[in-house]
Amino acid sequence: MELGILLEAGRRHPDDLMELALEADRRGVGVAVVRRSARHEDAGEPWSPWTIAAWIAARTERLRVGIVPAAAPGAAFGASTPAFAVTELRSVTTKAEQSLESLAPGRVLSSATAWVVAPPRPDAAGLRALAVRGIPILPVENAADLDRAVALAEQLRDVPSPPAPRSAESLAARVPGIDYDAVPASLAPTAVEPGDDAYASVSSTYLRGGAPGLVLRPQTVAEVVDAVAFAREHTGVALGIRSAGHGISGRSTNRGGLIIDVGGLDAIQIIDRRTRRVRLGPGATWQRVAQTLSPHGWALGSGDYGGVGVGGLATAGGIGLLSRKHGLTIDRLRAVELVLADGTPVRATETENSDLFWAVRGAGANFGIATAFEFEASEVGEVGWAQLSLVTDDLEASLRRFGQIAADAPRDTTVFLVTGRPREADQFVISLYGVVDDPDPDVVVDRLMPFTELGMLVRQHVVMTPYAGVMGNAAEVGPEGQHGFGEPVSRSAFLPSLTGEFARDAAELLRSGLVYFFELRTMGGAIADVSPHETAFSHRSPAFQVAAMSSSDDRLSARWRELGHHFDGLYLSFETDRSPERLDEAFPPPVLDRLRSLKRRYDPTNLFRDNFNIAPAAEDAPSVAADVASGSAA
Amino acid sequence: MTDYGHDLRFGAFITPTSQPANHAVDMAIAAEQAGLDLATFQDHPYQQSFLDTSTLLAFVASRTRRIHLAANVASLPLRPPLELARAAATLDVLSKGRFALGIGAGAFWDGIARMGGRTLTPGQGVDALREAIGLIRDSWANMDEPLTRDGAYYPVMNGQRGPRPAHPIPVWVGAYKPRMLTLTGALADGWLPTIEYVDGGRAGIAAGNARIDDSALRAGRSPRDVRRLMNFMRVGMSPAGRGLLQGTAREWTDQLTELALADGISAFIIGGDDPVLLQRFGQDVAPAVREAIERERLVPRHPTSSVPS
Ligand SMILES: Cc1cc2nc3c(=O)[nH]c(=O)nc-3n(C[C@H](O)[C@H](O)[C@H](O)COP(=O)(O)OP(=O)(O)OC[C@H]3O[C@@H](n4cnc5c(N)ncnc54)[C@H](O)[C@@H]3O)c2cc1C
Repeated sequence: MELGILLEAGRRHPDDLMELALEADRRGVGVAVVRRSARHEDAGEPWSPWTIAAWIAARTERLRVGIVPAAAPGAAFGASTPAFAVTELRSVTTKAEQSLESLAPGRVLSSATAWVVAPPRPDAAGLRALAVRGIPILPVENAADLDRAVALAEQLRDVPSPPAPRSAESLAARVPGIDYDAVPASLAPTAVEPGDDAYASVSSTYLRGGAPGLVLRPQTVAEVVDAVAFAREHTGVALGIRSAGHGISGRSTNRGGLIIDVGGLDAIQIIDRRTRRVRLGPGATWQRVAQTLSPHGWALGSGDYGGVGVGGLATAGGIGLLSRKHGLTIDRLRAVELVLADGTPVRATETENSDLFWAVRGAGANFGIATAFEFEASEVGEVGWAQLSLVTDDLEASLRRFGQIAADAPRDTTVFLVTGRPREADQFVISLYGVVDDPDPDVVVDRLMPFTELGMLVRQHVVMTPYAGVMGNAAEVGPEGQHGFGEPVSRSAFLPSLTGEFARDAAELLRSGLVYFFELRTMGGAIADVSPHETAFSHRSPAFQVAAMSSSDDRLSARWRELGHHFDGLYLSFETDRSPERLDEAFPPPVLDRLRSLKRRYDPTNLFRDNFNIAPAAEDAPSVAADVASGSAA
Repeated sequence: MTDYGHDLRFGAFITPTSQPANHAVDMAIAAEQAGLDLATFQDHPYQQSFLDTSTLLAFVASRTRRIHLAANVASLPLRPPLELARAAATLDVLSKGRFALGIGAGAFWDGIARMGGRTLTPGQGVDALREAIGLIRDSWANMDEPLTRDGAYYPVMNGQRGPRPAHPIPVWVGAYKPRMLTLTGALADGWLPTIEYVDGGRAGIAAGNARIDDSALRAGRSPRDVRRLMNFMRVGMSPAGRGLLQGTAREWTDQLTELALADGISAFIIGGDDPVLLQRFGQDVAPAVREAIERERLVPRHPTSSVPS
């Protein structure tokens, strides 16, 4: 069983603590916890335990370092001090903890982790008894104390660690409204709650910080059914569904709520070579999908970033770098399997539960938890992959030209534009990145030439590569999980065409400095070949999809409203505003009506509501979906 | 035209990005190996792709031996002053006197509010900073008296002082606007702006210096008490000079020598996150600038403009 030492930052010089920690590491003690001494006589020298802990983590190689909870308000000060001046901000402390964890991966014991301070002069039997409450840590002040700790650690080395019931501290971290004891047995071993070691690695997503009350991690469809049953008993708290955690609109993390994380369902299988049929788990990332399909000479158009998950993208749309030639990601979908709100697993295709199949392709998050997708991959050989950076003094003209060139390009060419705050008064860096789906380098160069004239070309990187090379841009999420922070602020819209007036207004918005990320995703081509009735994603004709991110929600909203007359609808995946009007923009009236009545059928209690929530239609509302309802098995 | 006569420092302005996690640590080690004097990191806790700067500073200090370290600059609204003082002193002791306290009144108030910090007007921000600097310095001294201050922003009753740093930690202030410059002249040990944000760029330095000098004199200090540091974000070495710190090592040397002699800048901190550039800065530029300045100081160019000290 494991034993640790407790180092108190009091009057002792930090160099001494450092020496003790190094020595402990050398002699095989696994854990050192640093905390501010609580003893009165130490009051004069309040060394920063956090600084000492970070210093020790940097110097040692194996030692796990305990993180001390933030100073209790008022601890170091007179009681009359206003709270603001004395408390460390919890958000900053959390960030510090996450930072140390990424600098010393796997070696940071979070404050919520159970450790128990051993009494002075403990014996082996006492420590064994103590271990049921957490890792015993022995206060160490000098070499003699350390010798004793090492001797005890050696004595206990081969004693198996008792299964530690949750410490009082971690029980205290549980949130009200969740019945932790009722977690189904199938899910208990993989579930994570605030007091657990793994908690920090599952609480945030790529762009968003969170502090969920419980994360369930089903590994099979049966376990997803169990998780949904548990969620049905907990409608009083938020419910987030997570696949790979790159959601911008969807709240795949929350505060104090429940998360069902199906990231473990990440299998990628080829099920029929002849028809290029592939089966993907929702937790697979598009980067891995691309790598698996590449040797076959196939690809599935996805977004533009390899870290995004199949689950979130394939239920929303998927406007990507192959879209103008091969359509949206959902256009290649042939079947989907979901667990519905009542726990029923269903399969939906063109012919089986076809209404559900329609709804999932654009509004899937509202209808169930997708557990598998079957796609028909496209044949895609080597493509031209271009990343260009240009500097322009006339953003308006550059945007206008881009609008023409990108939209008029042959459909083998899909180029996206990103820009942000001005570099200087009127100077912008424009990044273009895109794919020319043609194996002939001459064709690739030909297609790209017009784009190089949008400004002064300062960087160009053009290669011939399989699509996997295009998607291979994301760092795999390791055991530390993701470290998003705060709430992203993003607005999204469809642009029917990029007019001169839009270019002028957009340039003005960007000059204001309010927007740090602005992207035009080129649509058209194969996207527009599909009838707007075929999928719940019905905005098939816009020339572009626009997204803008800012740190100010209010100011961005106001500016975005002023641009409203240029827009027609919005793509939900890049929208973070939750006002009801946004729903009307994402889904035109007949589509929204149909979705509402299907929602009433498939999720009448509105269990799935974390992403562009479509409230179920009232019972007596006419069912627009009646014509297709007959095929339903639900 | 002022040379304040400070010894010269050369440093790196490192992006504390978390992708990859060890980037900032590697850059600081590269800066040390390049013979630079200073490794500094921005502090934007609300910037989600950045590591926590306090943690990074402690971590980097532990992994280096010689180079001095500072935040560039710490965001006061998210760093309660006594915690900042404690962390600074602890780090100074652990690193054997290698820490400097870069501090600013706070920028990006939306981000600060998102982290739970209170939002202040620019004027309040300056006042809070003035108060915090006093409090921080106070906590490093007079160990035996209780710490009590009834400030408007950081009131403290019977607070704990200490610990005592290993050396007098210099306080460097990131300042651009008149009130901040006045505060810098009256209180700080250093002025730490970024040239790209100085009003008027290179030409604006003189105005900033003048305000600091004036304020220092009025506070009964010498302008020499305030070191002038400067960050340069947009830098690169190229055979064809295109502007300030954009040309050959030779051109860099001439430009920095000129900035030292004419504008009194004595610490040059470059961005770019490029280890090769740091190497060239440390090996090709720094010694040459030092040599040029030493020569010039033997034969002052403007003997009459020397500053009272
Ligand atoms: C860097 C980046 C680049 C992007 N580029 C593009 C792009 O080029 N084109 C594009 O179209 N989109 C793009 N997106 C948007 C992206 O497609 C969506 O945010 C998507 O929801 C992310 O999926 P995920 O599984 O990674 O996210 P998660 O955060 O896991 O999920 C997001 C939401 O999707 C729903 N959801 C997730 N899994 C399931 C499931 N199994 N069943 C039902 N609902 C589920 C939930 O409502 C959830 O809250 C990008 C996002 C990022 C962060």
